[in-house]
Amino acid sequence: MTSATETHGTATAVRARELLDRNPASRAERRFGILFVLPALALVIVFRIVPLVWGAGYSLTDYNGIDAPSYIGLQNYAALATDPAFRDSIVNTLILLATLPVWIGLPLVLAILIHQGVPGGRLFRAVYFFPAVLSSVIVGAIFNMVLRYDGSFNAMLGSLGLSPVDWLGNSNTALFALIGVQLWSTFGMNVLIFLAGLSTVPEELVEAAKLDGASTLQTWRHVVVPSMVPIIEFATVATTIGVLTSMFGLIYVLTAGGPGTSTTLPEYLIWLEQGRMNRPGYASAISIVLFGVMAVLALVQIRIMTKNAEI
Amino acid sequence: MATLGASEKRIRWLIAVPMALLAISCIYPLVFAFNVALKSKRDYILNRFSLVADATFDNFRLAWVQAKLADYFVNSLTVTVGAVALLLLVSSLAGYALASLRFPYRRAVFLVLLAALMIPVQVVLVPFYRTMIATGLVDTRIGLILAYTAFFLPFSIYLMTAFYARLPRELIEAAKIDGASLLAIWWHVMLPLGKPALFTLGILNTLYCWNDLLISLLVLQSRRTLMVGIAALRGEYTTNVPMLAAGVVLAALPIVVIYVIFQRRIVAGIAVGAVKG
Repeated sequence: MTSATETHGTATAVRARELLDRNPASRAERRFGILFVLPALALVIVFRIVPLVWGAGYSLTDYNGIDAPSYIGLQNYAALATDPAFRDSIVNTLILLATLPVWIGLPLVLAILIHQGVPGGRLFRAVYFFPAVLSSVIVGAIFNMVLRYDGSFNAMLGSLGLSPVDWLGNSNTALFALIGVQLWSTFGMNVLIFLAGLSTVPEELVEAAKLDGASTLQTWRHVVVPSMVPIIEFATVATTIGVLTSMFGLIYVLTAGGPGTSTTLPEYLIWLEQGRMNRPGYASAISIVLFGVMAVLALVQIRIMTKNAEI
Repeated sequence: MATLGASEKRIRWLIAVPMALLAISCIYPLVFAFNVALKSKRDYILNRFSLVADATFDNFRLAWVQAKLADYFVNSLTVTVGAVALLLLVSSLAGYALASLRFPYRRAVFLVLLAALMIPVQVVLVPFYRTMIATGLVDTRIGLILAYTAFFLPFSIYLMTAFYARLPRELIEAAKIDGASLLAIWWHVMLPLGKPALFTLGILNTLYCWNDLLISLLVLQSRRTLMVGIAALRGEYTTNVPMLAAGVVLAALPIVVIYVIFQRRIVAGIAVGAVKG
C-alpha cells in the first residue's frame, strides 16, 4: 500500500514535470534564459576564450608579427628557460610574493585597530582606500616626481640628515620602490575587506574570551584572527592575482621595467616582447605560463565566489 | 567587539598617531602634485618644495589646450560612459537569467563567465590585439568599449547574479502570472529592483574604465585616452614638470570628485566581493 502510494506520488511528480516542461512559460524561460546570457557569453568568448586558444597556438610558432607563423614546437618554452630577462622577471615576482605577508598583515592590523574604535577610525578607513581609486598612471606620474633623485622624498631625507638615494635609478632599490608604491596605493583595499570580515566575527566569542581573562592581544590571536581565516584566504588570493596582473600601468610609468630588468615582471615582459621586440610568438609563450599560474589562483577564487553566490 | 579598557585610553590615542600619519601619506602625493601644478616654471626651479607663493592656473590651461588633454578627456569620457552603460545592460540581463530563469546549462554558463577571470588581458595580449585588427575594431572607440565590457564583465555578472538570487522569487512569479513577457519583466521589474547593485557597479566600472592604461594602449592608436595621454606627457614634456603635474591633477579630478561623493557606495561594493552581504 505504501509503495503503491509512493509510485503514484512519483508518477504525479513526473506528470507535473512534463506539464511544466510543456508549459509555455517554462519553454519561454529556457529560450529566453539562453538569449539573455548570450551577449555576455559572446563578448567573453570572442575577446577572451578564443584568443586564449589562439594564443596557445601562437606560442608554438616563430610568429614575428609580419611573416606567416610557422610551427616550431616547444622551442619558445625551451628558450624561456635560458632567457635572462624571463628569469629576472620570475625572480622579481618571487621577491614581490615574498612581501605578501606585509600586504596581508599590515591591513589586518589596521582593520582590527579601526574595528576596536581607534579615534578617527571612520576617517582612516575612507582615506586609506583613496589611493586605490586613483589610476596607476596618476600614482606613477606623481611618485616619479616624489622619488626621483632631486625629488621631494630625498629632500625630506636630507632635512633629517640622511643622504639621498636614487630610488628609481638604482637596480638595488627600484624593485622595492615599485613594490612600496603599489603597496601604498592598494593596502586600503585589504583594510576594507578585513573590516567587512571583522563585522561577521561573533561578539559572544570575543566577550567569552574576555571573561576568561584573555588580554586584548590574546583575544586577537586566539579568537579574532582564527575566525577571520576564510577572509584572509580570500584577500591573499585576490592580492596575489592583483600583484601578478595589475602592475603594468605602474611599471610603465614609474620605471619602464628598469634599470635593466630590475623591475620587469612577466606581464610587462609580455608587452615588451610583443611590441618592441616584435616577437609575438615568444610573448604568447610567456602569456601561457602566466595563464597557468592565473588558472590555479582563479580556480581557488571561483570556489570562494560560487560559495557566496549560491546559484 | 570589546573595546580596549579605560586604562588603555591613552594607548588608543598613541596608536592613532601613526595611523593618522599613514592617512596623511595617502593624501599627500596628490596635494604635492597640486602644489607643483600651481607654480610657474621659474618658481618651480627656484623653490621646488615650498608651498606655492604666487599661484597660477596657466599650467592647467596649457595642459588642457596645448597638450590636448581636452581631446583625451572627451575620448575617455566617451568610452567610459559607453562601456559602463553596456556593462550594466549586459550584466543585469545575464544576472537575471542566471539567478531566476531555468534553462539548460545554466550553471555551466555561470562557470564559464566566471572562468574568464583567469584570462586577464596580459594572458591574451597578442591574440586579443590580432582579434581587434581582424574585426576592424582596432583604433575605434567602439572597439575599446567592447573590450572594456568583455574584460570587466565577470565581476559585474557575479555581483548581479548574487544580488538577484537574494530577491524573493514571488516578485518574479507574480510578474509572470500577470502575463508579462520575460523581457518586459527584466525591463520593468528586474532593472528597477537591481538599482542598488547597478549603482555600485556603475561607479566601480567607471573607475576601472577611466583608470585603464593597457587595454587602451592596445586598442587605440591615433586617439588617446586620458591615461595614455598622461603617460605620454611624461616623455614629451620632461622639462615642464608643473604642466605635467597640472595634467595629473586634471586627470585625477573626476575620480576624486566621484570618490568624495560616493565613498560609502564604493566601500560597500568592495566589501561585497569578500563577504556574503
